[in-house]
Amino acid sequence: MENAPDIEGELEAHLQSKNLVINMGPSHPAMHGTVRMKIELEGETIVRADPEIGFLHRGFQKSCENVTWAQCLPYTDRLNYVSALMNNFGYLSAVEALIGLEIPERAKFIRVIGSELHRMNDHLTCVGAVGLELGGFSAFLYAIEARELITDRVNELTGARLTTSFGRVGGLNRDLPPGWIDKVLKTLDKVAELRAEVEGLLTRNRIFVDRMRGTGLITTPDALDYGFTGPCLRACGVNYDIRKQHPYWVYDQLDFEVPVGQNGDNFDRYLVRVEELKQCDRIIRQAIAKLPAGPVIIDDWRIALPPKQDVYNTIEGVMSHFKLIMEGVQVPAGEVYHCTEAANGELGWYLVSSGAGHPYKVHVRAPGFPILAGVPRMIEGKMLADLVPTFDTINMIGGEVEQ
Amino acid sequence: MSKVALDTLSVKLSQPFVERYFDRSGAEWGVVHPNALVEVVSALKHDPGLDFKLFGSMDAVDRLMLPEPHPRFEVVYLIRSIPLNDVIRLKVRVAELQGEVPELPSITPVYQGANWWERFIWDFYGIRFRGHPDLRRILMYEEFKGHPLRKDYPLRGRQGLLPERPIKDIYRGPGTSSVV
Amino acid sequence: MSTTNESGPKPPPKNPGFVTCTIDGKEVVAKPGTNMIEAANKVGSDIPFYCYHPRLTIAANCRMCLVEASNSPKLVPACQTPLVEGAAITTTSPKVKAGQRSTLEFLLLNHPVDCSICDQSGECKLQDYYLRYDWKPSRLDGPKVLKDKRKILGPTVVLDQERCILCTRCVRFMNEVPKEPQLGVFGRGSDERIDSFSEGGLTSNYSGNTVDICPVGALLNRDFRFKARAWFLSAAPSICTGCSRGCNVSADFFKQDTYRYRPRENEAVNKSWMCDQGRLSYKYLNRDRVTSARVGLGQAQAARAPDAAVQDVTREEAVKTAASVLKAAVESGGLAMIASPVASNEDLLGSLLFAKEALGITQVFVSGRPDGEADRYLMTADKNPNRKGLELIAAALGLILQPLSKLASEIDGGKVTTVYAVGGELSDPSFTASAGKLKKLVVQAFNHTGLAPFAHVLLPASTHVEDEGSFVNLDGLVQRFRRAYPANGDSQPHWHWASDLFRAFGHNAHFSSSRHLFHQLRDRVPAFAQFDWDKQAPFPRAPGSGVGIENPPAAADGRPPGYREFGLARVRGI
Repeated sequence: MENAPDIEGELEAHLQSKNLVINMGPSHPAMHGTVRMKIELEGETIVRADPEIGFLHRGFQKSCENVTWAQCLPYTDRLNYVSALMNNFGYLSAVEALIGLEIPERAKFIRVIGSELHRMNDHLTCVGAVGLELGGFSAFLYAIEARELITDRVNELTGARLTTSFGRVGGLNRDLPPGWIDKVLKTLDKVAELRAEVEGLLTRNRIFVDRMRGTGLITTPDALDYGFTGPCLRACGVNYDIRKQHPYWVYDQLDFEVPVGQNGDNFDRYLVRVEELKQCDRIIRQAIAKLPAGPVIIDDWRIALPPKQDVYNTIEGVMSHFKLIMEGVQVPAGEVYHCTEAANGELGWYLVSSGAGHPYKVHVRAPGFPILAGVPRMIEGKMLADLVPTFDTINMIGGEVEQ
Repeated sequence: MSKVALDTLSVKLSQPFVERYFDRSGAEWGVVHPNALVEVVSALKHDPGLDFKLFGSMDAVDRLMLPEPHPRFEVVYLIRSIPLNDVIRLKVRVAELQGEVPELPSITPVYQGANWWERFIWDFYGIRFRGHPDLRRILMYEEFKGHPLRKDYPLRGRQGLLPERPIKDIYRGPGTSSVV
Repeated sequence: MSTTNESGPKPPPKNPGFVTCTIDGKEVVAKPGTNMIEAANKVGSDIPFYCYHPRLTIAANCRMCLVEASNSPKLVPACQTPLVEGAAITTTSPKVKAGQRSTLEFLLLNHPVDCSICDQSGECKLQDYYLRYDWKPSRLDGPKVLKDKRKILGPTVVLDQERCILCTRCVRFMNEVPKEPQLGVFGRGSDERIDSFSEGGLTSNYSGNTVDICPVGALLNRDFRFKARAWFLSAAPSICTGCSRGCNVSADFFKQDTYRYRPRENEAVNKSWMCDQGRLSYKYLNRDRVTSARVGLGQAQAARAPDAAVQDVTREEAVKTAASVLKAAVESGGLAMIASPVASNEDLLGSLLFAKEALGITQVFVSGRPDGEADRYLMTADKNPNRKGLELIAAALGLILQPLSKLASEIDGGKVTTVYAVGGELSDPSFTASAGKLKKLVVQAFNHTGLAPFAHVLLPASTHVEDEGSFVNLDGLVQRFRRAYPANGDSQPHWHWASDLFRAFGHNAHFSSSRHLFHQLRDRVPAFAQFDWDKQAPFPRAPGSGVGIENPPAAADGRPPGYREFGLARVRGI
């Protein structure tokens, strides 16, 4: 003991210290109810972190492999339940890519409007929840009020607040309800007001900025390596958005910008999301202005259900209906990888069809999965308190990560 | 799409592909020989002309019920290049030999993002990745028997609840034998 | 091209003795007289058809198989047109597709909107072909022709004349296969219809096959009608137990009930057909089953000892009681055994081994179902599916088979006081008088019929659809059947009871499965040595090959796989 450190005086007892292991979640509000973090602490510094997931695992892929292509749609609602429309449309686009189908122009515009509404929904939830979990309850209330308005519009469009199951292979199952466009425009105005309130409460708030800036940092190479996409990647300064890089639907006809951050920390991720809220507003207004008239689903009884009039009154209609419901759309054998830009990044689908009415394989690349995998990299060596905003700004959604 | 990258790899690595074909969306796939896999992905990432740095995703397909069931498994790799604005679609076929666990080299040393996906594939398809730093189940619990996304695993193959056990080690906790 | 041929002599055939032509660009070499549909099938071209049936004569009246041939200016029916040397046949040209669409539109013109109430729905060729070859809306503007919607043709079959597309498969079948011409086409034009010559005159024992070959929902089985929807049923390859012919069937089941038998093709036994009596013989699988073991006097003897305690017991208790009864009889003498030729080879082997080695039995009394009528085609008089198997196994084990009447006289003479019966069927109803005199009767039975009501110890046995196994038909052909669903209630196969009893007797013999037993059987019975149990299983077709059935994989949690989605095994909706 001749080399014992000097700070321990002769009269002071030797302090035995060891790392403390704590178990955060799965029933912890900051873990969003589904993730268990096993954290080893040295003082307040996180030495090791291991996210344990699977508490929300529902066998998404296995379920999909055993139902028809159309019956998978309700399962996709439950992936990211904050922005279900984007999952619905992403999945349907992938199936359409597998069939090699072009959907009507009006359906494409409505898919864009729905997606962007739900992107706002997702970002508002994330931004509000960051405020809430850092102690700013008012910001959360404003964000939730805005989100509620969007949810109401989605409810009017699809008939469900969360589990939308909207759209069908080949287009949409119904057109916009009457008067909906005007309501959406008014909603956008109101949401813009509420967004300004949230920004006012948070963006220049000293306590908020101190907790956000410089925490949850990830370098660009690491972010790429882990497979970060969406706002989390753009916050690192990578200008990458599938809507711009590989435009799908009608995004190439719409004018919008992709906000890019610099530092890859929590604050940049927050700023990117706030900025994207404004871009969503622009996109929706443009799409509404350009919305063409016409059918919302293709006219092919091998893929789209016949009108009810024909189902009840003609043998052709009832047979087509029967075959489509009982056996499903006959998707040709083959495989495809198709992706769309969801609220949290690249939502990719790798579909394999054996030529039957149900999928052979449905791989979903949930944007949250690789991001959550990178969380230990972002918080190891940092303070325990930084875990909460980090976990918030990556906006991990248990439903899609744990399938 | 992906043609440039696949061509470059073919030239650079002296035919690492077993097969190249086009899928239904017109995208080209490269079927990589298992032995060349790590070499291929390293080249993809580090070659300045390719620069496939954004790891997309991985998954497997159990081909048991397909018209061509051999070899049984296919592991799919999707990797992006931002400068080329391209996705490369690779797959590796791996057979299940009698009484052996199918095995592939891990690409986690090249892409950290592959870590969880390889755990996912191990969990659901039972394909082992040689050289993976921490190959545990990821969504299912350690005591789960079988690999549920295999086609011969029944849809209703539910397994009983585990009896509650005293927690000896908080870090390990119940239901996992893991140590980070 | 044909003009040059007409002027000069015909060139010699490319392959002498064969016809060489191309179908969709692929060269086909076939024997002269090969059907074009079959030839096209070989090279992967699907030609749709309704009226064509490989086992019936050609009618070429549905017009669904029209294809383009280079030697004809018009579309030709593929089922009827002989292959011609050098002809180029196209099955997918726009002209052919237009023809298929027109044919379907015509067939559907007067078809009622019946899918939701039609038994054929889900396995209907109209539905399949409509979505594959037509998929266009109706252009009919006017009422449909109305005909008789429920014409009772006979005891088995009911006809919906509106649904009929007049392919005449049923008429040709009745004329050609059972050679009992009871059906005909009547009327002209839109009044044309299928009917029987006399009212309710479709009385043939083979009339049920007309339902199977009807490509639409016109002919329906009166027994199956409105019982189940086709897409909820799963099919297990099985063997009909109605008589000793051993017709190959598919047992269609849902949950733990069999709903119907459908003939399964086997060139060596039943071709594509089966008789109506066999078709209805599935009923004992569902009805009046013994589902729990029972100890105490049966109903039939309740009058004799009204205060005797009758109770349902667990399998373990039942085995214990049965073993003690049998042990006592072995020690005191007066034990006899009844075996039923309804049981499978595996069941019989297990039971006879137990009887021989544990009970010391040297002769076996044969019971089974009583003989019935035979006909001149498939149905035999012996209503037991496995008499041949019982004979082979008994001979191999050195056991002597005796008729049941001999046992009756031995019981009446007081020589036999205890009987161990494998199978509750009774070949002679008058035997019940002797059965009532027994001191102890142990019965393993499917149903509460025959010997079961007289049993002192009644053990529930599971039927052939509840376990795997094999039968030997009257020609000595060994045939495998596969399990459809898990055993009902507490029932278990005869061989399993034998195994349990064996152990209760202190032997360490153990049978783990029917397969295990068959392998023992193969070593002991020379007639089975050539039979490879694993290879001879009616294995499901390769996935995605288009026709036939697939055996559903057994569910790990013991639940019955009960959902068939158009060939692909699925587990759902239970």
